[in-house]
Amino acid sequence: MAQGIIENLITELTKLPGIGRKTAQRLAFFMLTMSEDSAKAIAKAITDVKEKARFCSRCFNITDSELCEICRDESRDKANICVVEEPSNILVVERAKAFNGLYHVLLGSISLIDGITPDKLRISELVERVRGDSVSEVILATNPNTKGEMTAQYIKDALKSLNVRVTRIAYGLPIGSDIEFADEVTLSKALEGRREI
Amino acid sequence: MLRRTEGIVLKTALFGEADLIVTHLTSDFGLIKTFAKSPRKIKSRFGSSLEPLTYSKISFWGKEDANLPRLTQSDIILSFQLIRDRLECFLKVSEILELTASFLPEHEANRKVFMLLLDVLKETEKDCTLPLHIILYKIRFLNLIGYAPRLDGCANCGKTGFSFYISHGSVICERCITGMDSPIKLSPASIKLYESLSRWDLSLIERIKPSRNLLAELSDMLNDHIRYRLTRPLKSGAFHKVF
Repeated sequence: MAQGIIENLITELTKLPGIGRKTAQRLAFFMLTMSEDSAKAIAKAITDVKEKARFCSRCFNITDSELCEICRDESRDKANICVVEEPSNILVVERAKAFNGLYHVLLGSISLIDGITPDKLRISELVERVRGDSVSEVILATNPNTKGEMTAQYIKDALKSLNVRVTRIAYGLPIGSDIEFADEVTLSKALEGRREI
Repeated sequence: MLRRTEGIVLKTALFGEADLIVTHLTSDFGLIKTFAKSPRKIKSRFGSSLEPLTYSKISFWGKEDANLPRLTQSDIILSFQLIRDRLECFLKVSEILELTASFLPEHEANRKVFMLLLDVLKETEKDCTLPLHIILYKIRFLNLIGYAPRLDGCANCGKTGFSFYISHGSVICERCITGMDSPIKLSPASIKLYESLSRWDLSLIERIKPSRNLLAELSDMLNDHIRYRLTRPLKSGAFHKVF
């Protein structure tokens, strides 16, 4: 019987990304040694996320209330909106501590082969937001790949008629890397985006 | 076994946290899918070499009959970045990438198709506003894989005809039409344009100046033909119309 419930836990854990059977097994046996309170806290955190998590009605970040924490924060600069593909991207930008404006999550990127057209993303909501609020700059921080680039170009066109500055995050070489190993596209983009020092 | 070849990236699919499954059209192995480990990480050695359209020298590792060999190296020969930089250009080209990936079977080398795609991408990069390159690719690609519509004569008797029947993949002359569904009516000019696009040297194509209506007529016929053969429309074609 005990073998059955452990096996069940292992099977469930392997559904998580990056968790193979061996890691799942290790996690399952670690959970057996945990205190009951800690184990229940994990289970509750998962249930809470599934029950309460929803999209922010303004920016489509993940939240448990009508507006997310960032949209509710009065100290943030409401004139700047950073557009990202996924809610997880917000955490990365926030970690950089280089932006104090608001966000807008598209919930994906335009993809021809997968049939993801602009109407399936939150682009029209962004246009409405820019039109309605006093936004002075929209920073397009979609992924620096073909899908992200197409999405950025589409948004740029969609915002053309509105009096707003549209910028794209810079392309370039990652800090700590060696120029010798850079590929020609990245390097040419880095040269294009050079700035005076 | 480590194998090396040249390939053009047709599409990529996300796999796991940072991995990709990359579909290449290669010169020596035809259409292949490979597993690329962590190309989405910032410091990946693959850099931008796995973006769609990139023509590169690739190495992959796996048994000869492996379904998903592992991509070990990819060095860019031509990036075709100018096409990717412009939304309208990439939209046009996406249609031929999807067409190629949809029709070709895996692991069957077809060097002529590979060279055709490479040549069309080179010409498109020079000037992507020319609408003929995409239609030309469709016609020649279908011809190379044996699915080209026949417009030079009736499928039954070989006589001239202007009624194209999708189910036959050919024009049928007035005499042979008995109890058939409604055809696509083609003008003599569109049939001539089709023949010219099938034969003319790619570098001379810009000398052909067809009217917008003529292009639309030929393009619609080809798209209907492709939809019938694939049993579904091209997703990127529908997407193109959104813009």
